[in-house]
Amino acid sequence: MDFEDTPEEAEYRAHVRALLEEHSAELVHMDTGEEGAAEGPEQELALRRTQRVLAEAGLVGVAWAREHGGRAGTLAQQSIVHQELARARVPGLINHIGLGMCAPTVIAHGTPAQHEKYLQRLLRADDVWCQLFSEPASGSDLAALRTTAVREGDGWVVNGQKVWTTLAHVADFGILLTRTDPAKPKHAGLTMFVVDMHAPGVEVRPLKQMGGQSNFNEVFFTDVHIPDTERLGEPGEGWRVALTTLLNERVAVGGGGTDLGLSVESLARLAAERVPGLSPERQVLARQALGRAAVAALANRYTGYRRYTAISQGGLPGPEASAGKLAGTASAKLIADLGVRLQGDDAVFLSGADDRWQRTMATLPGLAIAGGTDEVLRNIVGERVLGLPPEPREDKHRPFNEKAAAGPGTGRAAEPANTARTDAPGAMA
Amino acid sequence: MNFDLDTDQRDAAAGAKDFFAGQASPADARRALDGSPVAPGRAALAEVGFLGITVPESAGGAGAGVLDLAVVAEQAGAVLAGPSLVTAARAAVLLADHPDLLAALADGSRGFAVLDGPVGGSAPSLDARDADTFLALDGGALVVGEGEVTSGAPIDATRGLGSVRLTSSRVLVEDAGALWARARQVGAVVLAAEDLGAAGRAVQMGVDYAQMRTAFGRKIGSYQAVKHSLVDAWVGVEQLRSLVWWAAWAADAAPGELPLAASAAKAFAAETLERAAETVIQVHGGVGFTWEHDAHLYWRRAKVDRLLLGDEAEHLDAVAALVLDGALTR
Ligand SMILES: Cc1cc2nc3c(=O)[nH]c(=O)nc-3n(C[C@H](O)[C@H](O)[C@H](O)COP(=O)(O)OP(=O)(O)OC[C@H]3O[C@@H](n4cnc5c(N)ncnc54)[C@H](O)[C@@H]3O)c2cc1C
Repeated sequence: MDFEDTPEEAEYRAHVRALLEEHSAELVHMDTGEEGAAEGPEQELALRRTQRVLAEAGLVGVAWAREHGGRAGTLAQQSIVHQELARARVPGLINHIGLGMCAPTVIAHGTPAQHEKYLQRLLRADDVWCQLFSEPASGSDLAALRTTAVREGDGWVVNGQKVWTTLAHVADFGILLTRTDPAKPKHAGLTMFVVDMHAPGVEVRPLKQMGGQSNFNEVFFTDVHIPDTERLGEPGEGWRVALTTLLNERVAVGGGGTDLGLSVESLARLAAERVPGLSPERQVLARQALGRAAVAALANRYTGYRRYTAISQGGLPGPEASAGKLAGTASAKLIADLGVRLQGDDAVFLSGADDRWQRTMATLPGLAIAGGTDEVLRNIVGERVLGLPPEPREDKHRPFNEKAAAGPGTGRAAEPANTARTDAPGAMA
Repeated sequence: MNFDLDTDQRDAAAGAKDFFAGQASPADARRALDGSPVAPGRAALAEVGFLGITVPESAGGAGAGVLDLAVVAEQAGAVLAGPSLVTAARAAVLLADHPDLLAALADGSRGFAVLDGPVGGSAPSLDARDADTFLALDGGALVVGEGEVTSGAPIDATRGLGSVRLTSSRVLVEDAGALWARARQVGAVVLAAEDLGAAGRAVQMGVDYAQMRTAFGRKIGSYQAVKHSLVDAWVGVEQLRSLVWWAAWAADAAPGELPLAASAAKAFAAETLERAAETVIQVHGGVGFTWEHDAHLYWRRAKVDRLLLGDEAEHLDAVAALVLDGALTR
């Protein structure tokens, strides 16, 4: 057990730090806990440029294989880059979904031609990617999705709707999960594609989130043609392909133990400024809350280090990462809550001297939903890690297009029980 | 970076698990409530070498680190063993310059207890009931002496809690404030390690039962109210494990981080064990509320340990003080 950098790691860290200083003027810097949000065309361009500069400096895809445009580095190096980016106040990369979820899926299931065509450009944010999984009637129960792809000539024709698609408004490509065989049980009839977001028939409508930002979208597909060469994996194998995405999602979102939302260090700085000015009674309360938030963040951070050690020793990212997202969400809430309360009178406004806190607060409910809701993650941990008996899943083996017997008085098909995101990690873990 | 136990530590944990499985159990903890001696007891712990893990080899110990002790303490906690390895850990720090006493600690020929609070009447202190040699802080000096123990009806008899009035004492170390503080932090880490073991075992008992018990035609573990509360308790245990290992590592390798890590671990341990113990009772329903069931013994441990060596409020405040002082932002 050792938390210090090895001499090689220390050397690498110094190298990264020097690169970040050298390129500082070309990078976006911001002190928010938000990911590079791409609000407005100017910010989008700046964020794309930031990622390109970092990619050219060799700081994106550090642990990827060289054949995919990476540096064949270690996970330790990857995490050093993350730490140094945070230290230099460079926001999350615009292509975080592409890097965290789409690329691993393309790498695992794509053809050499797809690797060639996409990966290098994805690394440089020449193309930004999105993940087109959720639909109005299938979020947790992802495998109940209804967007169809029908074989036609040398390709497929896609019709349907996706929703909550982060970054679709700026994306160039997406990984798209569709139903290609409705006569099969719901997991068996799915197929994954890479879709060109600029293709005719793709329409993106931004949605406004509760905090006012527009980071996710509805995406409509009307007779969109996708060449068969853009299929990821075999027809009917879409679920297996999606599992790769979902496993990586759990690690990308919170599984690594990094603070989601604003960091505990930002809270520490704020508290050092504000707590001494409070009344003695309020100081006691604020110190308890600060202690609790710091302990939660540290527990999660060190748990991330353990997971990361396990993965770097050859383990697969498993369902344990879901526990990291649960704990990370809880700790992010403790951090933001105290940060907001320390804003004094400003705390009732979404604006103020240091409104990062209020703005972050308004993103956190989404954290407990995106990438698997807290409830679904608890199901995953309960069943896949603790071995508790599964949820009832009445529709798991029934052909998708065969409705369940209507319950008394409902007059419509029974709601499909969840499976999708709940089933996800287990199949590989 | 490498945040995992090494092979020796894994082996030590496995060995400790075997040892404790034959030597202590919740049933012993139940019998202790009726006045039976605490199991495995000082002699057995001395014989297997666990009282001397952090005692230098020159004084008959193993000369190992706090992390090595913590992995053993986890196994002790899992079966509610006593006396606590906290006492051994704390005394080993305090007696660093007193080889004779260290040797008596490691070989069990003396029963030590470390007293918190005034020497004229200490706070209820771990393992005081069966001790013959008391260590205390008296006006800034570390003293050793004999004393008179008073005690109440125990909630958790395995903890051997008693208040002590020193009847004789001699100074071991003048100006022992810093030494005392470090010993208390190491003690907090080892207590958190015992709580980790107890919490992990409690959650496992709940999981086992939820897999087997049926209600309304389904295993109760398939009900989310049951499943999710077990998951929350388990997530707490895994998070606690990280804090315990970090804190124990810090005690050995990064003393500057120990105050923060020890308080974080102790505060989190209090909450985690309490939740695990309450969950295991609830998951068992009526049988979990019986004297014969083991659940309440973990609950008793939780209700007592959360108050020992500083309660949650004290340690959260200590964390806050360090954070405000720049512990995370330097
Ligand atoms: C900020 C944000 C960004 C997102 N980005 C993307 C994206 O880029 N791409 C994408 O494809 N999707 C994205 N999503 C969608 C996200 O994956 C879904 O919202 C999520 O999986 C939940 O699905 P749902 O919204 O349909 O809610 P539902 O599944 O309808 O859930 C409603 C409620 O029911 C509960 N519930 C459902 N099933 C169970 C069960 N089995 N047991 C217990 N409770 C259950 C849920 O926990 C929740 O509380 C994003 C969502 C958010 C909030």
